[in-house]
Amino acid sequence: MGPRNLTIAKALTEGIAQEMRADSRVFVMGEDIGEYGGIFDSTKGLLEEFGPKRVRDTPISETAFIGAAVGAAMSGMRPIAELMFVDFFGVCMDAIYNLAAKNTYFSGGNFNVPMVLMTATGSGYGDAGQHSQSLYATFAHLPGLKVVVPSNAHDAKGFMIAAIRDDNPVLYMFHKGLQGLGWMWNVATAIADVPEEPYALPFGEVGIRREGGDVTIVALGLMVHRALEAAEALEAEGIDAEVIDLRTLVPLDRKGVLHSVGKTGRLLVVDEDYTSYGVTAEIIASVVERDLTILKAPPRRIAYPDIPIPFSRPMEQYALPDADRIAQAARELVESGRQVGALA
Amino acid sequence: MTQIRVPDGLWDTAKIPEAVLSQWLYLDGATVTEGSVVAVVMAEKTEFEIQAPADGTLRITVPADGVVAPGGVIGKID
Amino acid sequence: MEIPRQRLLWMYETMVRARYYEETMARVYLEGKTPKFDIAEGPVPGEMHLSAGQEPCAAGVCAHLRPTDTVTATHRPHHIAIAKGVDLKRMTAEIFGKKSGLSGGRGGHMHLFDPAVNFSCSGIIAEGGGPAVGAALAATMRGTDDVAVSYIGDGGVNQGGFHESVNLAALWKLPVIFVVEDNAWAISVPKSRSASIARISDRARAYGIPGVHVAENDTVAIYQAAGEAVERARKGEGPTLIEIETFRFMGHFEGDPQAYRPSDEVEKLQQKDPLPRFKELVIQGGNMTEGEAQEIEARAKENVDDAFAFARESAYPEPEEALEKVFV
Repeated sequence: MGPRNLTIAKALTEGIAQEMRADSRVFVMGEDIGEYGGIFDSTKGLLEEFGPKRVRDTPISETAFIGAAVGAAMSGMRPIAELMFVDFFGVCMDAIYNLAAKNTYFSGGNFNVPMVLMTATGSGYGDAGQHSQSLYATFAHLPGLKVVVPSNAHDAKGFMIAAIRDDNPVLYMFHKGLQGLGWMWNVATAIADVPEEPYALPFGEVGIRREGGDVTIVALGLMVHRALEAAEALEAEGIDAEVIDLRTLVPLDRKGVLHSVGKTGRLLVVDEDYTSYGVTAEIIASVVERDLTILKAPPRRIAYPDIPIPFSRPMEQYALPDADRIAQAARELVESGRQVGALA
Repeated sequence: MTQIRVPDGLWDTAKIPEAVLSQWLYLDGATVTEGSVVAVVMAEKTEFEIQAPADGTLRITVPADGVVAPGGVIGKID
Repeated sequence: MEIPRQRLLWMYETMVRARYYEETMARVYLEGKTPKFDIAEGPVPGEMHLSAGQEPCAAGVCAHLRPTDTVTATHRPHHIAIAKGVDLKRMTAEIFGKKSGLSGGRGGHMHLFDPAVNFSCSGIIAEGGGPAVGAALAATMRGTDDVAVSYIGDGGVNQGGFHESVNLAALWKLPVIFVVEDNAWAISVPKSRSASIARISDRARAYGIPGVHVAENDTVAIYQAAGEAVERARKGEGPTLIEIETFRFMGHFEGDPQAYRPSDEVEKLQQKDPLPRFKELVIQGGNMTEGEAQEIEARAKENVDDAFAFARESAYPEPEEALEKVFV
């Protein structure tokens, strides 16, 4: 038997289907998730197999159906709701952060909210500022919500199954450019060998996507792949980069990051989400507040500038972190680290 | 050796004369299993999955972004 | 209501211009996207929501508006922008992402803003209601008789923001006209599976305001319903909800396979194409000759062609301009 390669879209849908077969409490609702199969192919084939009672197209009423997912979860079901683009969170944030994220705590643990909210992130295909955001930190900032960001198909399936089985609300953020959609660019390295049988992957463990001793590049989602491209370019110059995939933001594997930085002494964090108050700051803080002595150079970050995402291609591409900029920052980091070392 | 073909009649060639092989799910030389989806063809914005017709080693002849037609050979299984 | 001849001609020209604009955009959008459809490629990347078939909703309503009246449109905004008098060249340049565009390329097709005619739109469903209420409130507080029109789709009316806005406008008796463009589809979900009642205009009763339903994409009926609503609003008599049964000839976005849609639906709708229907009506009424119609059509096409040429010839912004205009 050869490998069984799937796209993220296929893998996460397979995870949903297997849990739906195994557990009658699991159902899906959202906009265009029935006959259309999800705008980003996240529910393809589910309506055909499970019918309209368990695969429910909703009106454009996110406040209602995400609130309903909270209520159904508290009433013993295992709902999966889809928010088509994460950018659309504005209308329904209350259901997400004042209900889903807080009801367990408010009820002293007497209620739990075992729901999955899946949503599409990502920019770089000309969809402008209300359809391109990543917003990872916005959600990871809110206590009570687990946040998962798969970067490849193997994680996508294992995380989806784990999210459905989790007794807490899980925000499952998939990247449009990693889905394997036929109608936009995609990233071949997101395709992975996916076991056919159901499996759940634990949250809170970073993935070492590439081992190296000179610099640690921490990334998530699409940026993992951009970091890998950068690492390849750096290898040709004799710089050995380690690429760490955060995989889940809540829970966050701070130890895993620290362990890698302990080895390399240099930290570069890359994020497609906005720079300020973001994932990059959290990762850097997690390292420097634990142990400043392991650093050979001040940590660096590359993230989206603090601007709404522009439409026009030259501006859009300028603002989006890419492999060249990651490689350049890593190069400078290694260089400055050497200087600091020399001074010491 | 078994050829991998784009099946006939997947889309209306009068409306959409040219389709594109949008992605291979395996690298050239990979071991594949009969029935696995090995490639995806896009006719405008509609996707069609192409399965491996046999077990064996994948040999890609039409790379990603190559133009394909119904009945056309896109690779083979050795 | 007798429609003045000049208005009839303006409406015809507006509708022709909007139609030709969308047909041109559909072609241009596919440049660089064939044979492989990649949404990121071509002179116009990203999603593209076109409005062919919905022209009467724009022309019939905007015929009553002046530049100082406000319009908030949807993610499918071109026909409305054209009817409101948005600068066609700069709008097209914006959609191409050029520096000469309305927003210097920052917004694109779902984010068109033209302060000269008080036009804006948003890519988020049902987001225009609040801003329209605010514009109407501002007009009232400043003591003018300007009005605001909020366009929304049959999908959007199931958002909380729509209900809140209608209630607020009704409560404060503000000069707002809520125009529901019912093209029967919220992407792939039909209206019958989105709303619990058949007619959205019936919801007006719940807010104590008039609700008007216009069937069959009828340009004259839209003009008349909007005329009454605008007149009421200008007189301080409060908002109106107008629901227009209109047609979506194209996909939700360009490239939409539309597998969810009955295969003969568009063909059937096209047999009721509002453009030839309205043209014939104007000619029959003795308000336009065939020759005048041809002149109008030629002029509309020239305007559109000029706008596309302007957009193509315009330069792209410098990449670093991305960092400007976050704050004034």
